[in-house]
Amino acid sequence: MSIIVQLLINGIMAGSIYALIASGFSLIYSVAKFMHFAHGSVVTVSAFFLFLLVGILKFPFALGAILTVVFGALLGLLINLVCYKPLRNRKATNAVLLIASLALFIFFQSLMIALFGADIKTIRRGAISTGINIFGGIITELQIIIVIVSVVLLVLLWLFMKKTKIGKAMRAVADNKEVAQTVGINPEKIYNITFIVGSAIAGIAAVLIALEQNIEPNMGFSLIIKGFTGSIIGGISSVPGAVLGSYLLGLVENLGIWYLPSGYKDAIAFFLLFIFLLIRPQGILGLKKGVGAK
Amino acid sequence: MSDKNTDTILELRHVSKHFGGVKAVDKCSFYVRKGLITGLIGPNGAGKTTAFNVITGLLKVDNGKIIFMGEEITNKPTHAIARKGLARTFQHVRLFDNLSVEENMLLATQHPGENFFKSFVHTRKSGALKKKIKQVLELVGLHKPLTTLACDLSYGQKRLLELARALMMDYHLLMLDEPTAGVNPYIRKRLKILLRKLKREGKTILLIEHDMDFVMNLSDEVVVLDAGKKLMVDKPEKVRKDKRVLEAYLGK
Amino acid sequence: MIEAYLIHILILICIYIVLAVSLDLAVGFTGMLNMGHVAFFGIGAYTSALLVLAGVPFWIGLIAGAILAGIAGFILALPTSKLRGDYLALATLGFAFIIESFMKNWVSVTRGPLGLPGIPRPSFFGFTISSQLGYLIFAFIVMLICVLLIVKIEKSPFGRMLEAVRDDDVAAKTLGKNVRMTRSLGLIVSAFFAGIAGCLYAHYISFIDPTTFSLLEVILLFSIIIVGGLGSSKGAIVGTIILLILPEPLRFLGFPSSIVGPARQMLYALILLLIIYFKPKGLFGRVQLGET
Repeated sequence: MSIIVQLLINGIMAGSIYALIASGFSLIYSVAKFMHFAHGSVVTVSAFFLFLLVGILKFPFALGAILTVVFGALLGLLINLVCYKPLRNRKATNAVLLIASLALFIFFQSLMIALFGADIKTIRRGAISTGINIFGGIITELQIIIVIVSVVLLVLLWLFMKKTKIGKAMRAVADNKEVAQTVGINPEKIYNITFIVGSAIAGIAAVLIALEQNIEPNMGFSLIIKGFTGSIIGGISSVPGAVLGSYLLGLVENLGIWYLPSGYKDAIAFFLLFIFLLIRPQGILGLKKGVGAK
Repeated sequence: MSDKNTDTILELRHVSKHFGGVKAVDKCSFYVRKGLITGLIGPNGAGKTTAFNVITGLLKVDNGKIIFMGEEITNKPTHAIARKGLARTFQHVRLFDNLSVEENMLLATQHPGENFFKSFVHTRKSGALKKKIKQVLELVGLHKPLTTLACDLSYGQKRLLELARALMMDYHLLMLDEPTAGVNPYIRKRLKILLRKLKREGKTILLIEHDMDFVMNLSDEVVVLDAGKKLMVDKPEKVRKDKRVLEAYLGK
Repeated sequence: MIEAYLIHILILICIYIVLAVSLDLAVGFTGMLNMGHVAFFGIGAYTSALLVLAGVPFWIGLIAGAILAGIAGFILALPTSKLRGDYLALATLGFAFIIESFMKNWVSVTRGPLGLPGIPRPSFFGFTISSQLGYLIFAFIVMLICVLLIVKIEKSPFGRMLEAVRDDDVAAKTLGKNVRMTRSLGLIVSAFFAGIAGCLYAHYISFIDPTTFSLLEVILLFSIIIVGGLGSSKGAIVGTIILLILPEPLRFLGFPSSIVGPARQMLYALILLLIIYFKPKGLFGRVQLGET
């Protein structure tokens, strides 16, 4: 019994992290209409930035965290301006943008290895907590904070999209770019804002992951795959869908390794990704907008 | 029951196709008779191109039957339908842009070399095939070197190539979707002469057109669609004068 | 010393030429954005290695590797034939990750992350190709045969059909072509040759592990065919030569080896980005990436 509770807790924890990643990724996809694989790099580089500030330069943590989030937002914006925008101007298809994004991902991953080395870094925050016992499962205070922060952030994002003027403009561009232009919305400006918001969330995710787990150059890969998969499962052009899909993925993954060797954890995500792309590419909540058709 | 018309080459029976809430084709029934040129007209959104897509199997029907040469072809795969002798052209020209004029034409035939396992053996173009290609290109009036890439042709030439390619096929019914769209008057005239010639040779043609003069002058029968339904079928003179048709075009 | 190094590079070039030309068959000729090609490479390598290590003659290992890779191509083709563009890219990428996962976790067969050491050099008629130069000649001959076969396929009516399917699959259907089967065959043939490359690789390097067949390789392969230009075997060959030689000077610039590896990857990533932006048709390409 307590094993199940522990797996559920682990699943919710994982789901929270994936949801943060997936929400930013899905936000960018729904507005800019392509798969920003390099979103994973934004997380990785931000985490290393945090490590640089807090671990090496010994900044106070709170300051380091805030700077990291800002850094993440700016990095995402920079990627959009330097890499994607010029390609968009050349009418690149979203497949081309995906490939460019993959190249960027590799670039940043290798850059981190070159600058920081391939070994694992950690940011120690006090003694290792023993955690609280809930129905037989253990959860640490930090993990509870992470889940709460994730949920709060996702609610804020939802409110932002629904209630604010900018959020509505973003949804307009996501729905129909040409029509949005006719009412005076500047798509490029909206893309920039979308990247800033999505990447800021990635920055927050980086901070939380750096605290709870480790920092290493490869971390972005696993995260973006999970983010992807969560988005696809829930519905890639729907941010709530991406969140739903992420929690589902977190749960399935953790309950899944009850049966399978734990090394197959990532494979579960790949497998679900593959299956959903084949059978229900629009995801659980998504609309079938000529999926994959060009 | 129209099998009483043994000269019916294509029949739609109560065919419906909707997209979301929109009924593009709504319990539509009409038939095309052998050896005639049948025009398919109607205002924008009447369902003409959807009808074409449903007939050729590019779209699946929600309801109804489609019968071609006495055989039911409803929802069959497009390539199977094509092989039964249905050739078509598109509203927006579909050519193999990176291939040459000759290669586009060759692809209209079922070359034995296209079977992967035979591809190492059957690589040559037979003399008869080369001759036929030359003839058909002459027929439509495309005088460009065979090695010209399709993307390097002018708009009018592209249309001619697409038509020539369709003519290369072994077809019983030729379906043309707005063949005169955007072409100059010279080509339009040539097309009219060409289609009349094909009819004299016993071919059956179904064409969608917006150019009223063109279609009325050419067709033996005209099918009028409106809002996915068949409005009427009759000789061009009658259709031209019918009040309902005028209303359909000018809006209610 | 320098001779051994040159021969080593040349052998790798031969192997990657087979990989690049076969990938171009799928991407450039058939228009399928297959980012999972590295999976076929790996399956060929592991299959051949495992069989030969178990005592099976080399030729059988080679053919088995190629066939199994072809079957993997078939398995990938079936469900993905309806996907296009970025969804296809993603699904094929997912496939590659799944295969990599099996390599890492099916420890009883593949020894997982420990990899397979001691893969023997090919031997037939009692003669073993033990020298570097001997292997270069062998790899060159195999590469030549593979490239000639692929080019023959590309120039055949079947190849013409592949290109038609790439350029406009709807038109191809209305001309009576079975697009689904054509695409699948294109992928299967592409996979088959990648399997051969895998076998060549395994029996040369003598040690393989799951990390050899990762996302990094995908980027390299795509860089090669895009730089060379899609729809051109000549381009794939030239692209391979350029991209395998280009990062080599990094070795001699005095960087620590921990930097050379990542620097190489960064170089590939940058080249891919620059080519996509500045010259998307590449050197000899007949088709642009966005058109597939």
